Amino acid sequence: MHPDAIVINDYADDVLTPAERADVERHLASCGDCRALADDLREIRRAAGSLEQRDPPVRAWTRIERAIQLDAADRTGGAEREARDDRPGAGGLARFTRSRSIWLGLAAAAVLVLATAVGWRFLPRPQPGGGTANPPAAAMNSDAAQVEAELRQAEAHYEKAIQGLEQIANAEKGALDPQTAATLQKNLSVIDQAISESRAALRAEPTSEPAQMSLIDSFKTKMGLLQDTVALINDMRRGNEAGAARIVSGFKSKG
Amino acid sequence: MAGSPEDGEDLLQEIFLQAHRKLGSFKGDSSLGTWLYRLALNHCLDYVRSRRAKMSKLTDRLDGDASYQPTARRDTPIARLDLERALERLPEGCREAFVLHDVEGFDHKEVGKLLGIAEGTSKSQVFKARAKLRVLLR
Repeated sequence: MHPDAIVINDYADDVLTPAERADVERHLASCGDCRALADDLREIRRAAGSLEQRDPPVRAWTRIERAIQLDAADRTGGAEREARDDRPGAGGLARFTRSRSIWLGLAAAAVLVLATAVGWRFLPRPQPGGGTANPPAAAMNSDAAQVEAELRQAEAHYEKAIQGLEQIANAEKGALDPQTAATLQKNLSVIDQAISESRAALRAEPTSEPAQMSLIDSFKTKMGLLQDTVALINDMRRGNEAGAARIVSGFKSKG
Repeated sequence: MAGSPEDGEDLLQEIFLQAHRKLGSFKGDSSLGTWLYRLALNHCLDYVRSRRAKMSKLTDRLDGDASYQPTARRDTPIARLDLERALERLPEGCREAFVLHDVEGFDHKEVGKLLGIAEGTSKSQVFKARAKLRVLLR
């Protein structure tokens, strides 16, 4: 009797228990149809996972910028009324800071979303069932080289994303009070130290998975901190004291 | 999900315009990145749904359970272009779950959260998509 197709699907995803897996394998050994189904499901998953991520062309960002400017111009009347209502007597400045906040937020979010997408693409996928893959010895060297190449690529993308966030945060750092700026700097130093240590560990042992994960984790932590910084600046510009206080308390608890 | 790079570019522009208009409603309950990702995903899903409704493709005919039956074994790896074309022919529900799980790498719990469905539903939709793709890619 054939196992249920959903069980073969689970087998292809490596999420069965060892006993269930053994049962399915016993059946597959003698059933060509089910073996073909399991192979095909795996192949579909492999092919889907290797679909390339496509970055938008540079012209797309120019188009977006122009479209937002036009949209904002169309709504100027409404925005002026809103600014007057929000901050009596400070219409022009309010409009400027509001628009500046929007751009800061969107730019930071865009950097983060792109980097997150890159992260999904490059981070090693966990082996289902919590185990680790055990590839044939002949394939190990090429696998190790591929992992190293992917890590280098991921590192380059994270560095680019971090650089973008740093530019945004540094340009507006003056808006922060000295104590918060110092706490931030201290946290960033700790993360930079962790990045240096992970890099040193990787130089000594390029295929070390813990060192690879530690490096990626440190990049992610740094990005999170920089994103919080941009969010804090936005909150302060918008006069959202509660939001700003919440973010600052987060900095301190991490410090 | 958009179908073509040109449509994707248009969608990207619409997403950022919408983000620009809605940023004031961002409450800070999640990170800005999560907020933008969700907004982008919802916009893409709306787009796919409206396009599908307009074009009324033949995908409904693929909904039968017969597609789960074992078929002849593939001998060659699946080509990217073939897979992309086959993906366009999937019914929307299972296509969304499949793209998020098998292409984007989210787990079923995350897919369920993003699409507002149960984890088990995500799992069965992904299986449904794979079974249909198997038929389409023969």
